[in-house]
Amino acid sequence: MGNFKGKVVLVTGASRGIGASIALAFAAEGASVVVNYVKNREAAEKIAETCIEVGGDGFPIQADVTSESDVNEMVNQVILEMGKIDVVVNNAFKPYVFNPDERKLAWELKWEDYQEQIDGAVRSAHYMCQAVFPMMKKQSHGSIVNVISNLVERPIVPYHEYNTAKTALMGYSRNLAAELGPFGIRVNCVAPGLVYPTSASKHTKEEMKELIIAQTPLRRIALPEDIAGPVLFLASDWSKFMTGQTLYVDGGFVM
Amino acid sequence: MKELAGYLPCIGEEEVETKILTFQKNGKSIEVEVPLLTTEQMNKVIETVKKASTDILKSFSTSEIVTIIDRAIERLLDRNSLYRQKAEELLPIVTGYDEEIIRLGLTAYLKTFRKHELQRFLVEDLGNPVLLDDFQPRVKGGFSKAIGPTLITHIWSGNVPALPLWSLISGLLVKAGNIGKAPSSEPLFSSWFAHLLVEVEPRLADCFAIVWWKGGDEEREASIFEQSDVVVGYGGNASLQSLQNRMPVTTRFLPFGHKISFGVVSQSSLDSRKAWKSVHQAALDVIRYDQQGCYSPHIFYVQHGGNVSPREFARLMANELENFQRRFPRRDLSIEESVSLSSWRQKEEMTILAHPQNEILGNETNDWTVVYEEHNIHFAPSSLNRVIKVISFENIEDILSSISPHRSYLQTVGIAADPKELFEWADSLGKIGVTRITALGSMTSPEAGWHHDGRFNLLDLVNIVDIESSAKESSEQFAPYVD
Repeated sequence: MGNFKGKVVLVTGASRGIGASIALAFAAEGASVVVNYVKNREAAEKIAETCIEVGGDGFPIQADVTSESDVNEMVNQVILEMGKIDVVVNNAFKPYVFNPDERKLAWELKWEDYQEQIDGAVRSAHYMCQAVFPMMKKQSHGSIVNVISNLVERPIVPYHEYNTAKTALMGYSRNLAAELGPFGIRVNCVAPGLVYPTSASKHTKEEMKELIIAQTPLRRIALPEDIAGPVLFLASDWSKFMTGQTLYVDGGFVM
Repeated sequence: MKELAGYLPCIGEEEVETKILTFQKNGKSIEVEVPLLTTEQMNKVIETVKKASTDILKSFSTSEIVTIIDRAIERLLDRNSLYRQKAEELLPIVTGYDEEIIRLGLTAYLKTFRKHELQRFLVEDLGNPVLLDDFQPRVKGGFSKAIGPTLITHIWSGNVPALPLWSLISGLLVKAGNIGKAPSSEPLFSSWFAHLLVEVEPRLADCFAIVWWKGGDEEREASIFEQSDVVVGYGGNASLQSLQNRMPVTTRFLPFGHKISFGVVSQSSLDSRKAWKSVHQAALDVIRYDQQGCYSPHIFYVQHGGNVSPREFARLMANELENFQRRFPRRDLSIEESVSLSSWRQKEEMTILAHPQNEILGNETNDWTVVYEEHNIHFAPSSLNRVIKVISFENIEDILSSISPHRSYLQTVGIAADPKELFEWADSLGKIGVTRITALGSMTSPEAGWHHDGRFNLLDLVNIVDIESSAKESSEQFAPYVD
């Protein structure tokens, strides 16, 4: 306990699902957590309250991460109130329904479908990173963890636009890692497998879940809280000599 | 939160007393109000239902009734419908089961009551479903018609949500008036179904009632049984025995008492590739409704000789149960259940001293327990709630002798075996009292038209009226067209 005491952690899309679990896990280790949300204020406030209950601190801040001005405002507010940002977890993404039966086929996709997902994944991460670089450079430390997907390695379902955007985010992260290493800033990715239940996966059919479970050495699908551990690891000093890496959190589905 | 349970036919402007049953889970609570009728009101209900059964329900054709049930079930399968949403929201609180278990369980269960399954159900029992509508020629000569009772009373138990549908739908298919005593532990589903049927076909409004009374109310029960043609009872053997003692000899009593089910796993299903699948399916049977059903397994007998040994089967089972605990957590246990679980475990831990080759596997919070036993084939009920024994065996004959003394308790056996073994083992198991053989993973989902405890669901409810061939032949001489 208390591994993140005194640290300021910003988690985007933290009002529910994986983001909420990550926020709570940081708080349980004593961190002050900025619970970013775009719409669901009530849920974000609840998560922030729970952050306090579990031993950390929680501050809900509204910002649409695909808006540069929103992001800058949020980061400025955090720096103004808390003086620093140690960890950023880019978890928010453009809503996407993971339904293998209803997904668009390759020949049905328009460029706008890709653009939307790339904006949700890469543009938002870019705005966040640009906003925190000055502070992190000044601090000479910082850890950025980008949440991608194990589908980048093995598109068991080709959710084209989503997988492409997440793969782009992995490439983006590696390049940042190369550039920012000399400043003591680390950039890594966590790539979960199918996580259930979340609002994005609630339409995933049982047959699909069973198919994935049967091919997963640890024989189950991830829960939101399963993702938090590796994120905390990459944000902590335990991984201080790791950057540009992707950790797959999928029970061994990808290896 | 408040929810009304029960369904009453029109018995005039009556003030009906209600009883409130309270349920709680994860800080959510719900008060369910069940109707508690006076003897006079109950008699009025009986009279109304009997009249409607004769005047209305029996005027429907069987296929019309099938269509009505199908439409009601279709609504319950639609996750956007009001009743389905209510069920998904309230049943986890009422029963304590995990939301996902309820959602998946309801779909798997309800789809066995769709039109085509109901048709199969009818054909399975009657051969010719029109037998319920009209006199049909018989192979032996003459004609027969199946006549459903005027009134069936159902005494339901609530160990598994929505369970009352089996007997209620059976009663409707044979065009009987039905009065159901909603189970105290899950009084809602049967009530919703009754309301839904009336929404689909308003003419059925007086053909059934869902009521409640405290079990053991002898005077009330005696009066209802007296007026019923058939009583279908679910529950423990002691309570069924007490019902039977009060049953008039003229009332047909169909008791569905305590049963014990188990699994038998052949070494042929335990090769390097398929073993995990067998374990996974077996574990699903354990976690569905926390073994509360009569069809839920208490023991898996696992054969030596596969690449995966019985001991490894038990360990894989332990990991599956731990995985399922995360995916579909077990319901919270009552104090009595927790006490019974701990004492069961203590007893098992004592046996380890005498049998060091045995193993007890479990997590710290006792969410599940697997006991592995070798060289000690026996048959004993589990304490349930995800407590399962894995017992190794060499030959099927070795386990039969331990099981056969419990003949009256046997029901379902989940089997993973090759086709030759399946039929040979089924024959042996059938001889010692088992009535249902199914695949691992299907133990808790009997197929449409199954023979519950080896009996006929519909045929046991009806009377067959024969017109013997002599009557038909004799009638010819009185025909106006005789030359």
